[in-house]
Amino acid sequence: MSRALSRVANATVAETLKHQAEHQAKRPDQELYRIGVTGAPGAGKSTLISRLASRRVERGAKVAVVAIDPTSPVSQGSILGDRIRMDAVSDDPNIFIRSIPSRRAHDGLADNTADLLWAMEGHDFDEVIVETVGVGQAEYSIRAIVDTVVLVLLPESGDAVQAMKAGLLEMADIYVVNKADLPGAELMAGDIAATADRRADVEGGWVPPVLQTSSRDADSFAALDEAIEAHRAWRQARVDADQVRRARTRYQVQGLISRRAEELLEAMAEDELDRSPKEIYQALLRQLASAPEDGDE
Amino acid sequence: MGVTLKDEIVAWKTDNGIMSLKGKRILIAKPGLDGHDVGAKIIALALRDAGADVIYTGLRKSPDYIARVAVDEDVDAVGLSMLSGSHKEIVAETVDCLAALDAGDIKIFVGGTIPADDHAGLIAAGVCGIYTAEMTVDDVLSAIDKELAA
Ligand code: B12
Ligand SMILES: Nc1nc2c(ncn2[C@@H]2O[C@H](COP(=O)(O)OP(=O)(O)OP(=O)(O)O)[C@@H](O)[C@H]2O)c(=O)[nH]1
Ligand SMILES: [Mg+2]
Repeated sequence: MSRALSRVANATVAETLKHQAEHQAKRPDQELYRIGVTGAPGAGKSTLISRLASRRVERGAKVAVVAIDPTSPVSQGSILGDRIRMDAVSDDPNIFIRSIPSRRAHDGLADNTADLLWAMEGHDFDEVIVETVGVGQAEYSIRAIVDTVVLVLLPESGDAVQAMKAGLLEMADIYVVNKADLPGAELMAGDIAATADRRADVEGGWVPPVLQTSSRDADSFAALDEAIEAHRAWRQARVDADQVRRARTRYQVQGLISRRAEELLEAMAEDELDRSPKEIYQALLRQLASAPEDGDE
Repeated sequence: MGVTLKDEIVAWKTDNGIMSLKGKRILIAKPGLDGHDVGAKIIALALRDAGADVIYTGLRKSPDYIARVAVDEDVDAVGLSMLSGSHKEIVAETVDCLAALDAGDIKIFVGGTIPADDHAGLIAAGVCGIYTAEMTVDDVLSAIDKELAA
């Protein structure tokens, strides 16, 4: 499993397509349940995931964690620091943690997250928890690739929440005011609940719960675990699985194409870039259309 | 057209002679009871700046734990930072633990306070490079770069 993931993680687009063609037939019908954990840098996502993962294991689940950390745009290297905050569970044989760099992506994920999650299907896991890079208001691609989005907020992030109102905040299924041991949590939770209520207009719609957690209070994570179960049941009853699958495929293909376009752009000679955008665009289209980029080589 | 950021980076990397660390996954580990972490963190940051993806274990990890993380994260190399004097035992155990997990191909580097007399023994035990504070960080990077390119 570990090596299989690396094969996908380091693959070019052509290699990724080849891998997918080989494994398409072996894919199980039932996909892994996917939980996304997102929020501002330092909100406590990694710490929360380690607590949550132990709860999920207590339920009998085998859990994979994909933790994404930012790639430096200058050196293209990264410090994958999420794992160190998950120390408490990294000895658990039922929890597998893989740290990955965001690479070229700027949407809170890594440019190949969709392909990695695809490759995780059919291994010995029941669910996967994805930790995004620390995000602001606009990076909500996580919505497209997971079933349940948990948004982690801080007690004092009032202004940030104001700014998020037209973005990430609307996408979350569960709000968590983390670090509830710090002052202001109650106030913050009230503010969020007022926003969340406005989303409950639709008949039978999901009303996102607003929870408070603290790494100092192990019991505070029980409610999060239960909220995920409740959301999961709601989705099963109300959300069209075909539609979800198609939306994910769309996101995955979009990613493959833009990665391929970047590969080609990077390979382009300097003077080729002196042409007009239209000419470059057309040259790219021609290259995109020709083998071996279709993975059949 | 002027010099782009990309040109500058390429030029910088070429100046340093470092090209192969990009995309390499490296685990920096602090085994045993040793609490000296300054050198390990300096090396972790330097490797990142040379383009590598670096995972740091934090303090006081057992060789068994380090080997399991190395396998789960599928790293290209493990760097053990040791200033406590127990490097011989730790290296032997780490080599065994990696082999037991069928991951003998993961390379092992060591750094820290390692007396010159012990170098040959560590190399014989399976370590592929020893980097102490007598070397500059740039020299350490290019040595690791060469080793991982091989
Ligand atoms: C600062 C220091 C401390 C600080 C540590 C703070 C911290 N958070 O790290 C404090 C005061 C806490 C401390 C405590 C102790 N220390 Co002290 N400490 C030092 C000292 C003076 C400098 C270490 C240092 O940070 N150097 C700077 C960094 C940048 O250098 P570096 O770690 O060697 O790393 C470089 C290279 O080795 C290499 N490198 C390091 N790791 C790695 C890993 C990889 C993969 C690679 C490629 C390269 C690499 O690259 C780095 C950059 O060049 C050294 C003496 C010395 N001059 O080395 C003693 C020394 C390491 N300490 C020593 C001792 C004995 C202790 C104590 C046991 C003292 C006591 N009796 O309480 C305690 C133990 C603490 C513990 N739990 O381990 C001894 C160890 C003796 C031995 N090996 O047998 C030393 C050598 C002093 C001596 N000459 O006796 N110490
Ligand atoms: N007081 C308090 N501190 C916490 C809590 N949860 C996490 N922290 C601390 O907050 C800091 C950041 O925690 P992480 O779990 O690394 O946060 P993160 O959101 O994963 O951070 P990035 O991945 O860097 O964006 C650490 O110092 C934690 O110890 C909490 O409930 N209360
Ligand atoms: Mg984190």
